[in-house]
Amino acid sequence: MTPRYFLRRLVTLVATLFAATLVVFSLLSVLPGSPAQVILGTQATPASVKALTQQLGLDHPLWRQYVHWLHGLLTLRLGHSYISQLPIGSQIGRSLAVTGPLIGFGLLVGIVIAVPFGVAAALFRRNAAGAAITSLSQVGIAVPNFIVGLLLILVFAVRLGWLDASGFTPWSQSVWAAFKSLVLPAIALGLVEGALLSRYVRSAVLDVLRSDYLRTARAKGLSRRQALVRHGFRNGAIPVVTVLGLEIPSLIIGAVVIENVFTLPGVGTLLLQAVSNRDLLVVQDVVMLVAVVVLVVNFLVDASYRLLDPRLR
Amino acid sequence: MRTRMKAAVVAVLALAVAVPAAALGFGHVARSHTASGTLVIGSNVAPPTLDPTASPAAAIDEVFDYNVYQHLAQLTPNGGVTPVLATRWSVSNHGRTYTFFIRKGVRFSNGDPLTPADVVFSFKRVIAPKSTYPYKVLMAGINSVRARGWTVVVTLKTRDWSFIYNMAAYSNGVILDPRAVKQMATSPVGTGPFMFKSQVPNYSVDLVRNPYSWNPRTNVDAVTFRYFSNANSENAALQSGQIQVIDNALNPNDIGVFKSSSKYKIVHGPTNGKVQVTINNSSGPLSNVLVRRAITYATNRKAIIQAAQGGYGIPLGSGTVPGDPWYIDMAGRYAYNPAKAKQLLTQAGYPNGFSLTLTLPPYSYATTSGTLVAAELNAVGIKTTIKNIQWPLWLSQVFTNHNFDLTIVDHVEARDIANYANSKYYWQYTGSDAVSKLLTAANAAPTQASSAATYKAIVRKITTDAVNDWLYVPEAVTIAQRGVNGLPQSGRTESFYLGYASFGQAPSAAARAQGYGG
Repeated sequence: MTPRYFLRRLVTLVATLFAATLVVFSLLSVLPGSPAQVILGTQATPASVKALTQQLGLDHPLWRQYVHWLHGLLTLRLGHSYISQLPIGSQIGRSLAVTGPLIGFGLLVGIVIAVPFGVAAALFRRNAAGAAITSLSQVGIAVPNFIVGLLLILVFAVRLGWLDASGFTPWSQSVWAAFKSLVLPAIALGLVEGALLSRYVRSAVLDVLRSDYLRTARAKGLSRRQALVRHGFRNGAIPVVTVLGLEIPSLIIGAVVIENVFTLPGVGTLLLQAVSNRDLLVVQDVVMLVAVVVLVVNFLVDASYRLLDPRLR
Repeated sequence: MRTRMKAAVVAVLALAVAVPAAALGFGHVARSHTASGTLVIGSNVAPPTLDPTASPAAAIDEVFDYNVYQHLAQLTPNGGVTPVLATRWSVSNHGRTYTFFIRKGVRFSNGDPLTPADVVFSFKRVIAPKSTYPYKVLMAGINSVRARGWTVVVTLKTRDWSFIYNMAAYSNGVILDPRAVKQMATSPVGTGPFMFKSQVPNYSVDLVRNPYSWNPRTNVDAVTFRYFSNANSENAALQSGQIQVIDNALNPNDIGVFKSSSKYKIVHGPTNGKVQVTINNSSGPLSNVLVRRAITYATNRKAIIQAAQGGYGIPLGSGTVPGDPWYIDMAGRYAYNPAKAKQLLTQAGYPNGFSLTLTLPPYSYATTSGTLVAAELNAVGIKTTIKNIQWPLWLSQVFTNHNFDLTIVDHVEARDIANYANSKYYWQYTGSDAVSKLLTAANAAPTQASSAATYKAIVRKITTDAVNDWLYVPEAVTIAQRGVNGLPQSGRTESFYLGYASFGQAPSAAARAQGYGG
């Protein structure tokens, strides 16, 4: 990776993030429903709604609210939620401790499923095993992850009683228990992603199998397996890594659903609660966090091409 | 296998972004497992803040009212009022002066002693000009509050027969420690049998026994409330023993599995809620009383209760519920009769019906009953289109801007018939002036009985005018493991009071008499 390329990508990244703050803020500011009315409910008088609007600073001009928020973001002083009065930074931190590992494990489950099955599906494409894997992955793609989650709960928690049906034990209390509470959610999340990913792995491996360089490698005397391992996988990895990068946002969205099914106190739960309570500051900050993660992951995936593919260097 | 390695690199990179942020803040986190003596209760909505004076959310009162904060008097599940921080009170000056005798020897959970000055502070905090208490208006009639020895004297501007009830039922009445109000939103302090221990926002709240409690020792050491946004997960948690009680089952249609098992019991009783089709009385054909009556005749309450509540509901015919001093059973007034509805529509000048929109908030009772109501209205010729919207949008569009024809919502507040005296209230009732006069007369009435009689006149008037199409009182349905006793037998109190809850012991006769026999 040349420094100039890196710099150019970095400038784009920062500009995109800045544009994201504008979009997020302006979208939320046109969202109907006065936060003060949502907080005070149906028995509140117009006078107390007005008083609360002033207390929350929501009667300030929009640009001032935006500048104030942006300043908070840049200095990493996110302030306090005006509904729960809790510091937003620690609230997000606490929910990331759930969602971060959930997405990580989910991705791991997905890869562990996708790579062997995808490769096998490509290698055995002409016989029954390959067809079986292919149709199995179709089923995996078609089943929504929350259904998988509910089935896992019914079998492993309600029937067998091996794991908790839902909930999360904090890492600070017991790392093992925390890990255990993420096992079923990660499988539910990773299964569907894995099924999808295995299709890409299959087609990437198929492309490699049909390539000239692999035939050359065989001609030089390597076995099929040796040729695939030494020359095939590295080339096949490029499209798969691209897809993996694209999967991160879909894993984040999947995590919102899975957190709901397993009632995990993660980022998705925080976001849903904040939206329904019109806790705008929290919504803005969480959406920005997701935007940062997606953009930074894309940036890193871009950078990783150059590691995988010497032609781009 | 280099592919796997590369893929793993990407996974690690993604985590590398997420995990350092996770290290930002770790507070003390609650335990989520059942120890002996800890009662774990599943519920639906997590409290948005822990401060009941900042938000009317029922989820705050469910946990903190009565359990952590106490009032001078509190409501019991069977609908009565029982003295708590006041041992007794007297009324004088034609019903305008209340003298409360404050209980001695009471301490807050931080050890501070309760004094009459704290009571005065708490009441004055409600009526202060800048206060944003959600139910402030219910105490707007207070003229002065002062302490005299161990009594607190409250003087009202005019007689108010609902004063004691409102003070007991609504979170306005919580008695606060003036030295602890700054931390109310995150670390509440009260005089109740339990004290706040910790919370995981949007996930759980932990309470433990208050060591300074003046109440008799509670039978459970600790209580954890855990929140489930969907009924499937909540039911699975009860079946697998993670929780022992479900407070207020999200969808009573789903509880069949518990009904048929001897391991569980179902405790149910009425709430103060009125699930109603609210009619915009100023919107086109709906301003005609005949049309509103036709709508009421067209709705089949029994079928709606079955569909939306699994049968756990009481049919209604007016804006009052069983237990109100002025309750009249009006469910038969416009009993289901589609033929009569069609006839009234013809009489009103709409022989071919008309079109309207039914706007629904995102609650299962509303969406389920809404589908039925729309079908029933279509059957009598009123072409009904359903529009589903989010709650904040409902508040701004329907409630604040009155931009709707029909909507379905549960008016959960107790004894809120005074809304019919408010001409600006979202159903825009044109008879509100007359109701307002009756209300003034009811409060000025010399006896509680004559006051109730005047309230009954209000009930009759709004029923005759068919202001809204009142459907049913939803019941609170609690599912508990057999062996968990002393649970509230109704949803009349917003609080899910657990002062009498126990594992195994049968509740005392006194507790049962108040309605804690569940």
